[in-house]
Amino acid sequence: MKLLIHDLSKEDSSKLIGSEEDVKVISDNDTIHTCIGCFGCWIKTPGQCVIADEYSNMGERISKCNEVIIISRCFYGGYSPFVKNVMDRSISYVHPYFEIRNNEMHHKKRYENHFELSVYFYGEDITEKEKATAEKLVKANSINLMCKIKNLTFLNDIKSINELGGVIL
Amino acid sequence: MKIALINGSPRVKHTSSGILLNSIKPKLHDNNSIEEFNFKTSEIKSDDLEQISRCNVILFAFPLYVDGIPSHLLRCLYQMEKYFASNINNDIFVYTIVNAGFYEGEQANIAIEMMKNWAEKAKLKWGQGIGIGGGGMMSMIEDSTDTKGTMKDVHIALTHLANNIIACKSADEIYTSPGIPRIAYKIGGNMGWRQSAKKNGLKVKDLFRTPGN
Repeated sequence: MKLLIHDLSKEDSSKLIGSEEDVKVISDNDTIHTCIGCFGCWIKTPGQCVIADEYSNMGERISKCNEVIIISRCFYGGYSPFVKNVMDRSISYVHPYFEIRNNEMHHKKRYENHFELSVYFYGEDITEKEKATAEKLVKANSINLMCKIKNLTFLNDIKSINELGGVIL
Repeated sequence: MKIALINGSPRVKHTSSGILLNSIKPKLHDNNSIEEFNFKTSEIKSDDLEQISRCNVILFAFPLYVDGIPSHLLRCLYQMEKYFASNINNDIFVYTIVNAGFYEGEQANIAIEMMKNWAEKAKLKWGQGIGIGGGGMMSMIEDSTDTKGTMKDVHIALTHLANNIIACKSADEIYTSPGIPRIAYKIGGNMGWRQSAKKNGLKVKDLFRTPGN
């Protein structure tokens, strides 16, 4: 199963997804709460965020897929506030315990699945510095989430995302 | 000189960002006026935005979330970008402290780069960023100074930052960690997670739950 996390409008995303069945979609319906840094998803209800909204089981959702696809407007070399909000609410995917990987401290794995990560950043004015930051970000995410980078693409026009529909999904 | 201190942690109390800001305050000399703000939600009040825009320096302190900036703060930064990009006072220096729960302060480097990219988009001047690891130990900072204690290196980094702020000077990033071996921080951290779980009525094995699997 694929998990698509995006910040596109309904109109743009409908062109992209089409009739693909094996895709679960996480999109913005203006109801997401921000992470409050309580660590409840690790030490109160392990594996589940304590905030009761539609985004409380992101860890479980990621655990059931073999590919995570992110489509996000690029903000300062990172994800848009909505996509970052979803990422912040997804830390239940990992275990709180620390371990050393790549000679750095990271969190231990909670789930056994392996997935690939594809990221499509879009925006009309993405600078070269932002692209360089975004490349480092996706690499760091892949280490922390223990996944393999399948694709990292920068697009300067939202229309080109629509044209990529068949390629992305 | 007016300095705005912005705590970007979403937590209500006991924030490492707040502890770090409290630790740098005495280093910023008495003749500077300090104004403090808490960005706990995704929107900045217009009065606060105006007050911040009248400052000479903005110092952010926030926790590292998933290799980057917490999403609520990102929304605030976007609001600030729109405000400052069209504001006449762009003669403001931006400094940033990022604290990471991991041992290595270097893991904050991407979030600092994002803040640099933000400053450029908001047409503000970039000062300096410091990345501090070992966020779980930040409450011990009060027992240390620039010359002694487990958090000595953190104090030294804050002193460098404070001196650059006072001089409105740009400088390279500084990354630092607590003065204990990484293995000790790892063992202590994992013990802390177990204790927290027990306080919440859980057993250690509950930490390994895999909902849905």
